[in-house]
This record gives sequence, C-alpha cells and structure tokens, in this order.
Amino acid sequence: MAKPAMLKPVKVAPGNVLRYTFIERLVHWAAALSYMYLALSGLAFWTPWMWWAAILLGGGPVTRAVHPWIGLAFTVSVIYMYRIWLTDMRITKTDLEWKKAIRAYVRNEEEEMHPVQAERGFTPYAPVDRFNLGQKYLFWLMFWGGLTLLVTGFVLWFSDYLPGSLRFLRLISVLLHPVAFLITFGGFIIHVYMGTAVVRGGFSSVIRGEVSESWARHHHPLWYNRITGGTAKK
Amino acid sequence: MTNGWTDIANADVILAMGGNPAENHPVGFRFAMEAKRNRNAKLVVVDPRYQRTAAVSDKFVQIRAGSDIAFLGGLINYALTHNRIQEDYVKLFTNATFLVKEGYSFDEKTGLFSGWDKDKKAYTDKSTWAYDIDPKTNFAKVDETMQDPRCVLQIMKKFYARYTPEMVSSVCGCTPESFEQAAEIITSTYLPNKVGTIMYALGWTHHSFSVQLIHAAAMLQLLLGNVGMPGGGLNALRGHSNIQGGTDCGMAYHNLPGYIAIPKADYAKLPDFLAVVCPKPLRPGVMNFMANYDRFVVSQYKAYYGKSATKDNEFGFNLHPKLPVGAAPGTYQNWSWAYMFDHMYSGQMEGFFSFGMNPVSNGPHSRKAIAALGKLKWLVVAENFETETASFWKPEVQWLNDGKPQDIPTEVFLLPAANFAEKDGSFTNSARWIAWKYKAVDPPGDAKPDQEIIARIFLKVRELYEKEGGKYPDPIQSLNWWYTSPTKPALEEVAKEINGWAITDVMDEKDPKTVALKAGDQLGKFLDARADGSTLSGNWLYIGSYTQAGNLTQRRSGADPSGLGRYSEWAFNWPANRRVMYNRCSADASGKPWDPTRAGIKWNGEKWIGDVPDYKPDSAPEAGMGPFIMNPEGVARLFVPGQFADGPWTEHYEPMESPVQNPLHPEGQNSNPAAKPFKTQWDQLGKSDEYPIVATTYRLTEHFHYWTKNNPYNIQGQPEFFVEIPAELAAEKGIKNTQNVRITSARGSIVGKAMVTKRIKPMTIAGKKVYQIGMPIHWGFFGVGEQKGAIANLVTHSVVDPNSFAPEYKGFLVKLEKA
Amino acid sequence: MPGKVLEIRAMSASSTPAPGIRSAPVVAKLIDTSTCIGCKACEVACQEWNDLPAEITVQIGTYQTLPDTTPNLWNLIKFNEHETSDGAFHWLLRKDQCMHCADPGCMKACPAPGAIVQYNNGIVDFEQDNCIGCGYCIAGCPFNVPKMSKQTKKVYKCTLCVDRVSVGLEPACIKACPTNCLTFGSKDVLLLKAQNRVTQLKAAGFADAAIYDPPGVSGTGVVTILAYGDPAAYGLPRNPNISFALELWKGPLKWIGNLAIVGGIIGTFVHYLRFGPKHVPEDGPSKQLPPN
Repeated sequence: MAKPAMLKPVKVAPGNVLRYTFIERLVHWAAALSYMYLALSGLAFWTPWMWWAAILLGGGPVTRAVHPWIGLAFTVSVIYMYRIWLTDMRITKTDLEWKKAIRAYVRNEEEEMHPVQAERGFTPYAPVDRFNLGQKYLFWLMFWGGLTLLVTGFVLWFSDYLPGSLRFLRLISVLLHPVAFLITFGGFIIHVYMGTAVVRGGFSSVIRGEVSESWARHHHPLWYNRITGGTAKK
Repeated sequence: MTNGWTDIANADVILAMGGNPAENHPVGFRFAMEAKRNRNAKLVVVDPRYQRTAAVSDKFVQIRAGSDIAFLGGLINYALTHNRIQEDYVKLFTNATFLVKEGYSFDEKTGLFSGWDKDKKAYTDKSTWAYDIDPKTNFAKVDETMQDPRCVLQIMKKFYARYTPEMVSSVCGCTPESFEQAAEIITSTYLPNKVGTIMYALGWTHHSFSVQLIHAAAMLQLLLGNVGMPGGGLNALRGHSNIQGGTDCGMAYHNLPGYIAIPKADYAKLPDFLAVVCPKPLRPGVMNFMANYDRFVVSQYKAYYGKSATKDNEFGFNLHPKLPVGAAPGTYQNWSWAYMFDHMYSGQMEGFFSFGMNPVSNGPHSRKAIAALGKLKWLVVAENFETETASFWKPEVQWLNDGKPQDIPTEVFLLPAANFAEKDGSFTNSARWIAWKYKAVDPPGDAKPDQEIIARIFLKVRELYEKEGGKYPDPIQSLNWWYTSPTKPALEEVAKEINGWAITDVMDEKDPKTVALKAGDQLGKFLDARADGSTLSGNWLYIGSYTQAGNLTQRRSGADPSGLGRYSEWAFNWPANRRVMYNRCSADASGKPWDPTRAGIKWNGEKWIGDVPDYKPDSAPEAGMGPFIMNPEGVARLFVPGQFADGPWTEHYEPMESPVQNPLHPEGQNSNPAAKPFKTQWDQLGKSDEYPIVATTYRLTEHFHYWTKNNPYNIQGQPEFFVEIPAELAAEKGIKNTQNVRITSARGSIVGKAMVTKRIKPMTIAGKKVYQIGMPIHWGFFGVGEQKGAIANLVTHSVVDPNSFAPEYKGFLVKLEKA
Repeated sequence: MPGKVLEIRAMSASSTPAPGIRSAPVVAKLIDTSTCIGCKACEVACQEWNDLPAEITVQIGTYQTLPDTTPNLWNLIKFNEHETSDGAFHWLLRKDQCMHCADPGCMKACPAPGAIVQYNNGIVDFEQDNCIGCGYCIAGCPFNVPKMSKQTKKVYKCTLCVDRVSVGLEPACIKACPTNCLTFGSKDVLLLKAQNRVTQLKAAGFADAAIYDPPGVSGTGVVTILAYGDPAAYGLPRNPNISFALELWKGPLKWIGNLAIVGGIIGTFVHYLRFGPKHVPEDGPSKQLPPN
C-alpha cells in the first residue's frame, strides 16, 4: 500500500498532528465555496423568496450564466476529493459498530459510553479512523449528489439544444436537480454545524491543517494510532 | 376569367385543375375556401402532384402531366352518357343544335381531322371545319331537336364516346374508380340550381395543346350549364399582378390592344383589315358586337397617331406596324416568344428590349436563349435586379454553353427600373378588374419607372430620325406624344388615353342633331367610340374605366347589394364594368334566373337587371338574341369552326415528349399534329427509352418568379432548388431525401436536392409503369442564398402550342440519377 | 381592449398575487387546418411585424421552412405527410406556435420573477428583460415552443401580438392569412364558431374532425380545428398537460424542500441549545482503547 501523502513528514506545532495537507484543505475549500455559491444561487432559482440572492450575485442572468461553471468547479473538486480520500472514505465494519451508538454521539453522550459502562447496557463506542461514519456519509452524499447534479445540470444547461422528443430528460432533470440539491444541502447544514459548532477544532483543522494530539486521540483514535505509529499514549 | 375572384365563393363545386391556386394564387384562393365554409362546396383537385390545393380538397386525383385533355374528355363523355348535361341551357346557349358542314370527319384510327395533308404533314384545308351554311340566308343551319347525326351534339357524343373511364385511366394513370368519383362530383352541377367553377392556370396553358385543353374545359362547363352563372365559368388565374393588363393591351404579337387581330402586311387598305375583324352574323337576330370593331380600330389609330391619323391616310393604317407575310403563301410570320428567340438565334434580330422579363430563366430552353442573346448586337434590360438575362455573358452563365464572355459581341445595357410599388398606375387582375395603385416609395438610386425609360428612348430615337432621317420615319414622327411631361408621361394621362375621349363634338347616332359628347369629353361606353376619327381610344375594352366621372379604377367601395360578391363599385371591371361575362346564360329562355339565389341578371319585363348585362339591356328574352354577343352565331362554340390550328374538337394528343404511344390512336398521330418543333441544333427532343421519367415544372408560394431570390424572407421559405421525387422511384434509385440528384433531358441538365415524397405516386400508363417528378422554377445564378445555377428551364423544350404559342413547360421527359 | 394597457393576471416566480385586478374577455386565435394552404404568409407577417430577421435555411426535404420554430421564427407551418391505416394520404398543414395555455407550463417552471406573464385576456408573454435564460420554460412547455437565442441567451416565442391586440388590432398573422383559416377574437365566440365548423366538416365527410383545446393545460388561447381529428397526425401532443414532474417540483417538493431547509437550520440551532459542543479532554489518557 502506497504511503498516503498525509504521512509525509510535515512540520507541525508541538503537541499537534497534521490532519489535512495543504492540497486537501485547498480542495475542501474549493468544494465548500463553490457549493455555497451553488446553493445560494440555486436557492434563488428555487424560490422567489431567495431571489435577492441572485441580485446579490450579480443579477438573474449573471447568476444563471455563472452557476453551471461553478457547478463544474464543484464537480472537479469532488472528483479530486474522491481521488485523495477514497481509501479513507470506505465504510468499514468498525463504522457500522460505531453507528450503533449514533444516538449517543448525537446527544454528546460518548463520555458515558466508556467501556466501563458497557455492562450498563450501552453499546461500546467503536473507535474511529480518520473520518467517522457521518463524515463518510457526507462524502458519499456529496459524491453521488454531485454526480446527479452534474448530469441533470448538464441537461438543464443545454436544454435548448435538446430536441423536443427528449423532453422527458428535461423533466427528469428539473425534478432531480432540486431533489439532489435538497439532500446535499441537508448534509451540508449538518456538516457545517458539526464542523464549526459541535466539534470544536474541526474548523481550524481545515484551515490550518493541524489538530492537537488529544483532539486526534479523542475523535479519531485509530487514525491517531496509525499516523503516530503506535507512539500514542495509552 | 369569365367570372371573378370574389364570385368563386358562389360555387358548389370547384375543380382546380391545370393550376395550383392555393400555391400560386393564395389570396384569391380565399374565395374557394369561403365557398367551402359558407356553401359546403366540394373542391376537386386534379394534378400531377398532391400539392397545397390538394391538401384542402375533398377529392384529389393524380394524373400524368400532359394528360389533362383525356381527363376532361372523360368528363365530357361521363356527362353525355350519364345524361348529366343541362339540356335546356345547351340547346339555348351553345351551338349544339348547329349542323356541321358535309365533308367534316375525324379518323379515330389516325387521330386526325379532315383536311390533313399526309405528305405535307399539315392541315392544309380547314374548310370542312365549319357550319353547314344555308346559301339562301347565309346563316348556319340548325336542328332544334339535336337529333340530326350532323348536328354538333351528336358529333360530339360520338367523338367523346372513346373517352371511357378505362381510357382515361390508361392515359392519365389514375384508376377508373377515382376518375368516376371525381366525375360524379364535377358533373353534379348539371342541375340548374347547382353551379361549378373551374380554376386553371399555367398547368393548362403550358402544353403543346393548351388552347384545345381550355376548349375542352369550356365545352364541359357549357354542357353542365355553368358558364355565365354566378359561381360558375371558366377561370384562368393569371400569374402576375398585371399580366391580364398586359394581354389586354396588346402584349402578344398577334393582337392589337383590345384583342383586335393585328393587320397583316398583305392587307392593302383599311377596309381589308376591317372586313377581317368585323364578321358577318351567322344567325338571325344576333347582336354580333364585333361588327362595331371599325370604331375601335379607328379610335385606336387616332390614339396612336393623333392629328396624323386622317381620313385621307385611312387613319394611319399604313403608319401602324403589320405582321409580315411568311415564307409559304397564305402564312404570316410568327413573332411569339419561342419564335422570337428562334429568329434571334438565326440572326434575324439586331437588338432586344427586355423589360420586366428574364428570358434566360423564364423562357423555355435556357441554353438556346443564352445562345440566341449572344447573336444580338445590343440588349437593353430594364430590371430591379441583376438577372440571368442581363448577365448572360458572364462566365458562370456562359459555362452552360461552353461559351466565353470575350466571344459575346452583344452590348448589354442594364437599366435600373422602378418596381411595382415604386410607381403608380393600374393592375388588371385575373377577374379583369382594373384597379389603380399608388406609389408606396420612391425608386432607389437612379431607378426610373418603365414609362420614363421608354419615353426617353423614344424621344431620343425621334430626335435621331429628325436629324438623320431614315427609311420610314413617319410612324415615329407621327406618334401622338401629347403628354404634359414628354420624358415622364403621367400614367394618369395614359389611363385617360387608354379609355379615350371625343376629339371633336360627337353627335348622337340616333339623333344626329344632338351632341352626345362634347369635344374633350371622356368616352363613357363602347359605342361612344366612332369610326370617323372623331374619337380616340387606346384600348376599346377599357372604355368606361376613365370617364367624365373620373378615374373609376380608383373606386374602392365595398358595397355589395347583390350579396354575390359583385362589388360593382370597386375599381372598374372590363368590359363595361360587367362582373360576370356571358351573364345572359344565368337566366332561362324567359329571362328567369336558373337559380333565384344566384341571379346574374333577370328580365323585369322592360330590361335586364342585376349585373351589367352581357346582352342588349332592353332586348326581351323572346327576341332570342344569342347570349354570346361577341360571336357571329350568338351562341357558345362547342364545335369550333375554323379558328384553331389543330382541329374543331379537342382530341388528346401526347406531349411532344411522351413516355407512351397515344393510347387513343396507338397506330396514329401521337402528339399535336399542328405543333412543330424548331430546327436548330438546340431543339432536341428525347425518347422515352433514354429519358423515361415524366417531368413537370411549377411555381411556389414562397417565390415570385426569378425576382424574390433577392429577398431574404422568400429565400428563408424556400432556400434551394429541389426536385420532388416519388418515394418508390427514390427507393429504386437509392436516392435519399435531400441528396443531390441530376435531372437530364435532351436539352440540358440540372442538379438539385431530392425531396422524396409520398405526394407523387407511380402510375401505370397504357400498361407501362411511369414515374413523374416535379421541380419548381425560381432559382438561377444571381440572388441571395444558394442559387447554384439551378434554372429549371435548362431542361425544358421550346415546342409551342400552335394556337397560343405557349411553350410546353409541363410534361416533358428526363432521366434522373444521383449527383 | 383599446385604450387600456393590458393588466397582468399572473406572472412567473411571484410569491404574491399579480397586480391585475380587472377581468377582460379571454382572446383566442382559431386555426382551421381544413382551410390552411401552408402559404407561410403568417410566418413572414410575424417576422415583419416583430422585426425579426430572416433565418438562413436549407432545403430539408420538405416544404417546411425549418424543422422547428426558432427565436426568429415564432410561427411555423408544419407539413406532415400522413398516411392512414386504410391507405388514404393527406398532407396535413398546421400552424405551429405558442398555444397560450390558460395554465402555462412555461410560467409555472420559470424561476425568474416576471419573466413570463399572463395578461388578463389570456395572452402569455415573455418579458426578455426579466428572463435569465435558464431554459426551464422549455422543460415546462408541453408543446416545445420557447426557443433560446444563442446570441442573447433569452427565450422567445409568439406574443400573440400583444402590442397589436392591446390597441385593438388583430395579430399580424391573422391579418396576413389569405384564406381566413386564421381568425381572432373572444375565445367564447371562436369556440362556438369552431364547433359549427366541426359539425360542418363531419357532415362533409371528415368524420373525425375535432377541436383541439386541450384540457390538460386548462385550454389554450390558440384553438385548432383538426379536420382529421388525431392531434398526433398533425404533430401535436394528444394529451398535453403540465407534466407530473413539474407539478411535483413546483408543488409538494417545493414545500417539503422549504420545510426541510428551514427545519434543518432550526434543528441544528435547537441541537446546539440542547447539547452544545463536544469536549475534548486535555492531555488525559484516552478513554477509548483502540482494539488493535
């Protein structure tokens, strides 16, 4: 197995470990910013209540003209993410174990899920590798959602080139494009909320790339063990 | 048109044949649609192609191009054998009762009439094509019972008995059933209260037997009692906005304005001429209006030569051009279109004026026309656009004949002319309505109206004659050029002159002491014209169009008290503002309308009321004056004595190029015996073994001749030359839609895009499978869009009808291949 | 309605009612295919009135000007060569153009406020100034009418000559039609006329003659008399309607989506209020033991 790029020695502050390389951060933000643009402009087309967004983004025609190009940028970043994170994003058995405790995770009750308390009926809280299942779900949601948005978006982009006999393609697209958006947008809201408000340190990790060892140990123990080569404190 | 556009709305049955009115006369066609909407009229379309008119028809029959006479003959036979003729009408108003001269015969085997000279291959003696004249009275003999075997009706029955549905099918390629279905509808108008009309156009006139074809249609309409009836008649749809006006005013070489036959060079004196144009009556009591032609001839000469036309010089009889005698004794030269180009090709012409004409494209056989123009010393073209004719010397056109510009001696002058909207004047439409039009915009640049171009040329020529003298300057010097502005004659003044006025005080003919017209007064009616030189009139037919009441062609009243679309105060309708010609026939012997809901005219005990009567207004019906006042026999001619070159009856002859031997006389005459091909190297006719496909040419709604190829909107509608090909033929040749195909005739070839269609079906003609294809004209070398030199007339031939001299643009042979 | 500027009855992407308060008689154009000769006068009259340039065309193996309408050619005569099962052949000519649906799919699909409006006389018009060129109307239209200009990236179609109609004139095509196969007026009157014509056609042997005023779009402002009945033979959809996808999209999905978005945002907020952030123990030994 090739050595993942992230394991290359990079200088980090003492007590910290490198969580995201520069490229990863760049790609993340390319996807994030393009998605935010797409969401905002898309919402303007979704409902007249949000039409102000189109005005904010340069007016209806400009927004309409730019949206598909940004869509392409989003697609490119998603594809790049796929390339660099595919191995990390595979859903494992441990993830499925972890999933059993998802309720506790949502309720911030993982403290109570210490193995010591396992006999009290709690499911053991399975350890997490580089990404937890929620993050993986988001990734795959964005991947498949992005793909759907891309395909349907293309149909809508070039709908004037489509012969009348293929009208069903347009109809499928006008329906699937917003459906796919809504689903990704749900993931997006949760992701942003989790990454900023709930999991403190997450936001700075995609900015600076570093997390504290304790953060890493706490949230992603398997990963932490892996990158520190077992030097982690037990 | 015997009737008028608006009158078509009164029809019960409309036969569109030899024309595609929806395509080429869409505006007038509205009245056919009104008839359908308002009267449940049936529209029958008989045509080589399922076309735009067929799309809205009740019955469509596909026939082979050039087989129309067989179809009409079949209809005549159907009407006669099924007793579907309006007998009272036929007896009263046609020459069905007349006896035909002993000696007249028709040989069914050879397909030739009496008088044929086998050796000379010509009709050398037409004296038997005549009525049996009673030597005592000099009137024609009649048999009121119509039972005499030599009476016209009996001869007719025998003649057309050969045109059975099976024969029609064999010649035309339609099924006998389809023919009979159409015949049932068409002949249903034999009832006095049912009226049918026929709309035809160039599909009938573009044949080597075109006049006889129209003769056949006229016979059919007469048998069915449809002529003279509102909603009936025989209606020629004229192709250009003022082509009727052109014909009325002497456009054809053999007529003076007003359809007065041109004097011949061997008429020594005016009376010789008048004796020809003023016939003697053939029946007692007839009006024989043509006896008045002396008035019109003299008034016309007065219009031409003014003060120079005096009693002493026979009103200028010898100033006016006459038709030169021909090579053979008793014949005269022919200067009709195709003949003119033949003469041009043989070097008999020095110069040629082409105004509003594009002979290279619109004449038959373009390559011959190009070759002929190259023999001229000079050519003057007055046009809106650069045309194929004006630029016939250019390499791309000369390429057609392997010629080079440097070898063309012709000096060409292209004069920019104003178009119809850039000048005022009048249009005479198919319905004979003369309507004034007003200038919409000024002509661009140096473009001038035609009359100014002509005037300037004339004045210059006259000046040259004055300075240099000449062989016979008198006609030019004597011409009555009275216009206020000699270089720019106002068309208002020309219109005044065409109608005519009294030169001196004109006395009443019944009461010679009262002045009927003061000097200078406009003529009001035909008989205001005088043969003594006291009146002038450019065209007698137009008398009444510009009277003391003013220019009546400018009238625009939509009032229609008749409810029959007569619109008597809209413009002026020659003759005498009469909307339906021969309208005496709309009423029975006692003067009561055949159909009270469609009364043309009726006798009220004192006079005829309704439309302007085509009759003496106060002649009681009992007096029995014939309704066809222009004919010396007073009735309509089924049998046509003497007048035509190719027989007194209409017989089906094959087109000059035909895919089969004439099924009517397989051993005898194939094509029109009186039609003669020209003899130059260009005049090749093809045989069906090499050229098996019947082709026809036509026009499209989207274009006007070769003009609109300069206008983007027209080009948008029909951008490229195409060839309509039956799907079966295309499959046989492996031709796909829009692929390029080449059509070749014995004269030339042309490439166009294939339009593979189900609208033309293969036919079985005389037991042989025959395909026909069609192609529109409208393309050429110069214009907007894809021109590609696609002049349809590159493949047509220049054999003409022996009566009208119209070329056979329709129904010729070609071969087809992928290009 | 001469002298009175037309009012807007409905408009695209508007959350509030359109301003038109007065009602007006619904106008319509009646096309009688049984008297249409395909002369294309309407095509050119439309272009000339609307100042549209001629299209560069090629011969496509039919009499039809173009395969379909374009941003510069808003009405097109369709020439359908039609053979029935019993072998009868008809050349069916029909004027193709915006149908001015009472319930316009284009307007429903349009996301740009005011880009598509419906006047109180029923005319559906595109306001190119407000059009963003998204092409949703193309998806929304059951007749494939709106056409996007490559040049301007806006859609165009027949306006039913709203500029002429609003000053009491008939549309340009009606004026140009030589056979009167096109008529214009109040829809009620025209429908009566159409019914009479259909009765007449049936009596004349056109057994299947029918009026095309499809209920799926609540009727159209362009009513067509089909002499041979079957809309498909004329290139018309048999049962055009606002597509189910469109109904779903602009109906339930829209509300579910809106609720989901708002609900999601509120949900996260409430979640934060209730559970707050996760805490990372500082430097303590991990309570989680990797199983290794």
